[in-house]
Amino acid sequence: MPIQTSKSRYGALAQAFHWIIAALIVAQFVLGRTAVGLPSGAEKLKLLARHKSIGMTVLMLAILRLLWRLANPPPPLPLGMTSGERNLARATHGAFYGLLFAMPLTGWLMSSAKKYSVSWFGLFTWPDLIGKNEAAFNFLRATHDALSGVLLAIAVLHIAAALKHHFWDKDDVLLRMLPFTKPKKSP
Amino acid sequence: MKSPGFRIAALLLAVAAAGLVAGVGLVAAAGSEAPGTYSAEPVRSRLEFYGKQAGAEFQGVFHRFTAVIEFSPDALATAHFDVQIDLGSLDSQDNDRDSTMRSADIFDIGHFPTAHYVTRGFTKTAAGFRALGALTLRGVTKDVPVDFQFAATPGGAKLDGTASLNRLDFGVGQGDWKSTESVDNAVRVKFSLALAPKP
Repeated sequence: MPIQTSKSRYGALAQAFHWIIAALIVAQFVLGRTAVGLPSGAEKLKLLARHKSIGMTVLMLAILRLLWRLANPPPPLPLGMTSGERNLARATHGAFYGLLFAMPLTGWLMSSAKKYSVSWFGLFTWPDLIGKNEAAFNFLRATHDALSGVLLAIAVLHIAAALKHHFWDKDDVLLRMLPFTKPKKSP
Repeated sequence: MKSPGFRIAALLLAVAAAGLVAGVGLVAAAGSEAPGTYSAEPVRSRLEFYGKQAGAEFQGVFHRFTAVIEFSPDALATAHFDVQIDLGSLDSQDNDRDSTMRSADIFDIGHFPTAHYVTRGFTKTAAGFRALGALTLRGVTKDVPVDFQFAATPGGAKLDGTASLNRLDFGVGQGDWKSTESVDNAVRVKFSLALAPKP
């Protein structure tokens, strides 16, 4: 599979970004939701530390991914899609990119506002973005939490759409993002 | 031609003058050997601690502590520090973290409200001085050396220094908090005391 994206298929790097970030976001949901349910204590802090390290990883990958996408635009959408479907697909993908930045940034701001600085797997510490601010922390936590709900909703929509394209429309929208498969002709 | 009486008087005067100079010198020397006794001024003095939680440093201060410092750079043998820290006055800029640190698993301030540091001796170091003393924290007494610099100031003195200790040596961290995966064992203490002569 070529590294670069072609007219008919996402390249290896675009696919790697997609699937690695997808896996990390699943891990983020599990870690985040589990930590929220725990009473304050060492276990909770440990989970949140991992959540923060992975979140910063997602932020760095999101920057690289966006740059790569600007240099390697995705293959065009199938011709059979209606303009409403096209707009929905573009809106969903745009929202994903927005959230790839908004989730880590609100998390980073939250940690800064509460004076729990963000370490990257214990290797180094990111600088605090803002000073101690309890009101800002509460607002950011509510925002981070609400955005995670939005992210979950559009992830469900995204997966449903991919499956619909594959099984209903029988086009190559799913396959062109899957490694180890041969692209089929676009209808 | 001078009389013998004059010579004797001059000799006596010279001896008396020499004695006076020597005496003043001795008194002055004795004065510099006696350690000054100071206490830390609460408003201008600061006692900070630094810990690491999941790789990220956090910082706090103890707002209330008393320090009685007997020190003179020339008289280490008679120097002495006695520091009492009100552990409940800790402030790490987050109420949740503060109440966790006050709780039974960490400082357990209900049973051990204060920490106490008393010195036993002092040595000179390249950068300043080192106090050898024992810290009593959470019912455990253990030696903790403190490195510091001492500088006389108009109307008092300034004492700046650091110490490093392992929290688990004192049982600071029970249950889940024993794990050094969440909170490092090593803790740093940093202080800057403005000393005023003790009345």
